[in-house]
Amino acid sequence: MPNNYFNTLPLREQLEQLAKCRFMDISEFPDGVEALKGKKIVVIGCGAQGLAQGMNLRDSGCDVSYTLRAAAIAEKRQSWKSATENGFVVGTYEELIPTADVVLNLTPDKQHTPVVTAVMPLMKQGACLSYSHGFNIVEEGMKIREDLTVIMVAPKCPGSEVRNEYVRGFGVPTLIAVHEDNDPKGEGLALAKAYAVGTGGHKAGVLMSSFIAEVKSDLMGEQTILCGMLQTGSLLCFDKMVEEGIDAGYASKLIQFGWETVTEALKYGGVTNMLDRLSNPAKIKAFDLSEELKLIMRPLYNKHQDDIINGTFSRTMMADWANDDVNLLGWRAETAETAFEKTPAGDVEISEQEYFDNGILMVAMVKAGVELAFETMTAAGIIADSAYYESLHETPLIANTIARKKLYEMNATISDTAEYGCYLYNHACLPLLADFMKDIKTDVIGKGLDLEDTGVDNARLIEVNAALRAHPVEAIGTTLRGHMADMKKIV
Amino acid sequence: MNIRLDNLTVNFDDRFQLEEVNWQLDDSQHWVVTGANGSGKSALAAVLASAGENLSGNIDGIPAKVGLVSFEAQAELIEAELKKDDADIMDVIAEGTPVHEILNPGDSNQQLIDELVEKFQLQALVNRAFRKLSTGESRKVMLIRALASEPDLLVLDEPFDGLDAHTLEMLQAYLATLVETVPMVMVLNRFDEFPDFITHIAYVDNGRLQHRIDRNDTKAYNELYQLLHLKTTDLAVPAADPETAIPKLDPTQPLVKLNSINITYDGHRIIDSLDWTIERNQHWQLSGPNGSGKTGLLSLITGDHPQCYVNDIFVFGFQRGSGESIWQIKQFIGYVSTALQWEYKVGTGLRNVIISGFYDSIGLYTKATDRQKKIADEWLALLGMSDRADTPFNKLSYGDQRLLLIARAMVKHPPLLILDEPCLGLDDMNRQLVLALIEKICAGSETSVLYVNHHPEDQIKGIENYLALEKREPDNN
Ligand SMILES: NC(=O)c1ccc[n+]([C@@H]2O[C@H](COP(=O)([O-])OP(=O)(O)OC[C@H]3O[C@@H](n4cnc5c(N)ncnc54)[C@H](OP(=O)(O)O)[C@@H]3O)[C@@H](O)[C@H]2O)c1
Repeated sequence: MPNNYFNTLPLREQLEQLAKCRFMDISEFPDGVEALKGKKIVVIGCGAQGLAQGMNLRDSGCDVSYTLRAAAIAEKRQSWKSATENGFVVGTYEELIPTADVVLNLTPDKQHTPVVTAVMPLMKQGACLSYSHGFNIVEEGMKIREDLTVIMVAPKCPGSEVRNEYVRGFGVPTLIAVHEDNDPKGEGLALAKAYAVGTGGHKAGVLMSSFIAEVKSDLMGEQTILCGMLQTGSLLCFDKMVEEGIDAGYASKLIQFGWETVTEALKYGGVTNMLDRLSNPAKIKAFDLSEELKLIMRPLYNKHQDDIINGTFSRTMMADWANDDVNLLGWRAETAETAFEKTPAGDVEISEQEYFDNGILMVAMVKAGVELAFETMTAAGIIADSAYYESLHETPLIANTIARKKLYEMNATISDTAEYGCYLYNHACLPLLADFMKDIKTDVIGKGLDLEDTGVDNARLIEVNAALRAHPVEAIGTTLRGHMADMKKIV
Repeated sequence: MNIRLDNLTVNFDDRFQLEEVNWQLDDSQHWVVTGANGSGKSALAAVLASAGENLSGNIDGIPAKVGLVSFEAQAELIEAELKKDDADIMDVIAEGTPVHEILNPGDSNQQLIDELVEKFQLQALVNRAFRKLSTGESRKVMLIRALASEPDLLVLDEPFDGLDAHTLEMLQAYLATLVETVPMVMVLNRFDEFPDFITHIAYVDNGRLQHRIDRNDTKAYNELYQLLHLKTTDLAVPAADPETAIPKLDPTQPLVKLNSINITYDGHRIIDSLDWTIERNQHWQLSGPNGSGKTGLLSLITGDHPQCYVNDIFVFGFQRGSGESIWQIKQFIGYVSTALQWEYKVGTGLRNVIISGFYDSIGLYTKATDRQKKIADEWLALLGMSDRADTPFNKLSYGDQRLLLIARAMVKHPPLLILDEPCLGLDDMNRQLVLALIEKICAGSETSVLYVNHHPEDQIKGIENYLALEKREPDNN
């Protein structure tokens, strides 16, 4: 049975690790990719992250090749094709791992224990092993050979984004960390920084964090606001609209593209800007709904965070892995059968503003989810910068996937771990909101407010505006978005 | 009067030829014929006064009396006068024909002539020998003679050239009084000289009548203005900014050297064992049908193609795959393509769009230096867009955007400027504008231009190297 690494640490150190997160200035990367020059980088796996990161590193002047499991090479699977067609050398573990100075493990998290167990004995003395997610180290307690340096470079974006932003001359926000138990030569940080530069991350902002803070915040964000809330919200809003007699095609389209449209506003000016897109009465309505939602859902957010922190979540999920993914596969099938998934978006024109006006409840759900996730994470000791990236920042990126092919696409793009956590959340949240949904009518989802009376009480509006702007996710958001914009300026 | 030129080809002493001109003028219209020097604009005007040898096609409706003023007509008259001198007997002092005789060859309206002589202030010269006059004075004589002949059509080739301000004003005012009675065709090459009564403009280039536009068509009028400006301006391509200079390249090395290049997609070889060297200061045209691998080949050079790592490529001093980054390569390249134009959707002002070329960015995010602003303004002047420095880029026409993006790519004076189908999607006038700008760049800088073009007919003066790709059929492997 794997040994949860976090749980082996004394409280003092747990808190210290959770609170580790510092936004690095671009001036902290004067050496560029120098630390990786002359080193041989071997990537294990050529999937979403593997291909994108490898191409970026090569374009930054690094020596990159790929190692795949024997079957993938023999059967010329997609991963083999991606690597060879892009002109990379591909070889077996035996052929390439012994030559590597840096090994990037970019296989699915679920496979990390067998993969790392297989490659570790082949690795050179004193080489470096890198991850893009800390689950294996933190939740499974994987022990790495003492002479090896262990680092993490985790782009806070899907792989396609990692490549596209680089080609544009920019990058995506990236979290780096050094596993302190495995930094025998003290070169972990230099390597992680060079790797972040090689993928273009330094241009978009690098968070210097810890394996623990990354895992505990990443899991929390993806389960709750990023994927869970969007799934639950989609199902509830769709069923409600159909129940109230709204055309199913319209309802399907309003939701499928609505998340993307309303969360786009987050990118520019956070939750405040998203609510500012509504009329005054609608804004007050959304605010009130979100307050109510937060009250109802707070215990659920707390439970998710607690289970993540104390290891209950990873233990249950790993039990499902051991049980041939029975739960995961069952939930996946169940999602595919929901009315929302099965109803294609209708051929109707919906203007950008209409998504806001007729989707007041969706706006309220996003607001409640973002704020709750942020509040819960920071209450658990995670630093605001990190909590911001794992909640508000990533929401529009995930919403884009729903616009492409609904919940199916979202759950296919995110990692298996995220997908599992998303279903878990959905299962608990649906019944939790049942009573709340009883009072919901089409004025807040489907048709918009009946605007005969557009007047609002001045005092109340001022109160709502002030409350929106005073939320701590807005303060950190303004700062970090400012960094992003500053950095974009030097493209 | 209704003059028609149908497919008219006219030869002028084998020195020059007008080709396949189609043109129609009626008596309610007043035309300006314009174009660069040597374009054939004067020849076209002279055709209306029956000059040249008609090789093919038709010309109809030339009226009986055409008043022509042109440098050529003036030169001919002076030459004829000088010949008379030579013919004179040695001991008689040759005076030559006096001005008043030139002014009235016989049947002209003498009262009108006197009036005009006064207006042109030539009273003191009427008895002087024509050949003794200065060029400016003889030009005035020509004008008076043409105006007083009461013609059915007036053809005035650069009538304002060399006139003092006072006479110029007088002449313009006088011409304005004739608009109801005499149709006019004027050859002019400065838009600010076009009199208000002009209704149509004909643009001649390379012996061909390229455009006929209605003056009220503001869009066409403005584009023509720009085209003429680019064709005739003395302004050169602005210099680079020494402060943001690109690193020096080894002058003995080629810019690009591709050795036995292959590009393969899904097992199908698009490009097979191609060798290509671009030396410094060479301009190249790359052509080939869709699917022949033009874009792939370019992206091997720019570093955007993943297969650049499995080919033998030397670019700007780097052997690819030897630890260089793509940004080290890209700094030596200026690039314009339709894709870039789609991406460049910002509302940045024109000056800043040009400055963004110093930083290879989409939109400008750094504070520009005064020197950079000055260089950008020089580019705007070259493009004839000085008055639009602060217009948002996305408000420009498609063709103007293209011009501006070429200026943006060129502003840093990259050793290699890649223009990937720069005329794609442009109408004829805008194509000519873009080609005119490219010609200027080819002629006036150390930058090697790599011009990619599907159509062999969009040729550019100054390009002397050609690479034509052919589409490889799948069974060619
Ligand atoms: N997706 C994201 O948005 C995202 C964002 C940040 C970080 N990450 C992290 O990045 C890492 C990779 O995730 P991903 O989404 O890129 O994964 P992915 O797209 O599923 O790709 C995984 C790759 O690993 C190979 N693979 C699968 N099982 C294997 C095994 N048992 N042994 C060896 N190779 C195996 C697969 O190729 P074959 O099956 O052909 O062998 C495939 O090429 C994870 O740690 C993840 O948490 C992901």
